[in-house]
Amino acid sequence: MNATYDEDREDLRYAEYALGVLEADERVAVESEVREDERAAVEVARWQERLTPLAEDFPSVTPADYMWTRIRASLNLAETRSHLAETSSRRLGESLSFWRWLALGTSAVAAACVIALAVLLSRNLAPNAPHVSYMASTIIQDNGQVGWTATMDLQHARMVVVPAKPQALPAGRAPELWLIPAGQKPIAVGMIAAGAPTAIRLDSALLARLGPTAALAVSVEPPGGSPSGQPTGPVIAKGAIGAASESGGNPVAMLARVERVHATG
Amino acid sequence: MLVAMGGTQSGEPSELARLLAASARGDQRAFAKLYEQTSPRLFGICLTMLRARQEAEDVLQEVFTTVWQRAGDFDSSRASAMTWLITLTRNRSIDRLRRPGEIPLDEATARELVDDQPSPAAHAHSSEQRQRLEHCLDKLEPRQKAAVRAAFFSGRTYNELATQGGVPLATMKSWIRRSLIRLRTCLEHPI
Repeated sequence: MNATYDEDREDLRYAEYALGVLEADERVAVESEVREDERAAVEVARWQERLTPLAEDFPSVTPADYMWTRIRASLNLAETRSHLAETSSRRLGESLSFWRWLALGTSAVAAACVIALAVLLSRNLAPNAPHVSYMASTIIQDNGQVGWTATMDLQHARMVVVPAKPQALPAGRAPELWLIPAGQKPIAVGMIAAGAPTAIRLDSALLARLGPTAALAVSVEPPGGSPSGQPTGPVIAKGAIGAASESGGNPVAMLARVERVHATG
Repeated sequence: MLVAMGGTQSGEPSELARLLAASARGDQRAFAKLYEQTSPRLFGICLTMLRARQEAEDVLQEVFTTVWQRAGDFDSSRASAMTWLITLTRNRSIDRLRRPGEIPLDEATARELVDDQPSPAAHAHSSEQRQRLEHCLDKLEPRQKAAVRAAFFSGRTYNELATQGGVPLATMKSWIRRSLIRLRTCLEHPI
């Protein structure tokens, strides 16, 4: 076996890596060679330079506006810097405990906590660039009591709905959450629990419609959700959606409230 | 809007290379400008390869997080800024494709991207490097050229390409390997 043959085989692996046809374990092997061996790094870069002009044929698609908000939000929070290495389910678990901690107070105050934190973070870290990374909604029932509070985390595209004092429903019925954009039909968000926080992943269609002109509503449905895609039972609670960084108020005073809740909770 | 691919031929660092360098120093305004100028192209790559909007958005976020944190790794003597960004985006998309667990079929996105792969760029508008590569691709047999293109745009493995193309794995491997060697020769020794 002569050297040229070996070199050719090596070079082919780098080419295959750059093209993208290798299996996961083979990719990992090439990547570790690139880190440890300068020659491998140069050869892989050379293949990338050869093949990348093909990328001119990919279409250009402008991402939705909330993507920049998500990216900014993820980089402004120093403690979330390593979150990419974790699985999304673990991230969700961690933030659920955060929301459960918030739910120690009354849920209305819990929503205020999230707003206060978001305001503080956005003011401290990006003083001249207000952006919305959280939205919150207090979902009030017909009896005037808070049924649930919903907090929307735009950065991670999810919503957590924390029950406050949801009214009892008839047996065999369950609450379903809807998003109602101004002047449009309700969009199903998902089934929510009456006794525990519910985490819901927000798809791009929902994310795009969140905003101060939209509202959340809860209707009474069969346990599997509305069979028609529109509310079939009575609407028992509604809430406006507020953008966290537009909520105004004195952030320092709000933080004091957060601390009081934490001390008494 | 297309962003120029090359950037180092003139000897001057390209606009993108300067934005990358400024981002590496923590310049948020430069980072915002970089996002504005490159996110449509990079998002197009994520969407085409992953064919699901939510997955594509997650990968795009991952790409720009990496850019902000590791812009200092960019070495302008080794690659142009756009090549570095495209490579990062393709690699992250491929990593996502290789991760176990199915990517949910997103019918709306699938409808938007009807073709299985993009059509060749209109050559009048493509870069000199793109035209040279096309010249070399044209010297391959049509099925081999199609296999190389499918591999590049889909990020599929040899196995997946063979299944999709209805040919034995060994055939797909030999098509692509032979094509890669011929491309190297052609690009290094034009004409």
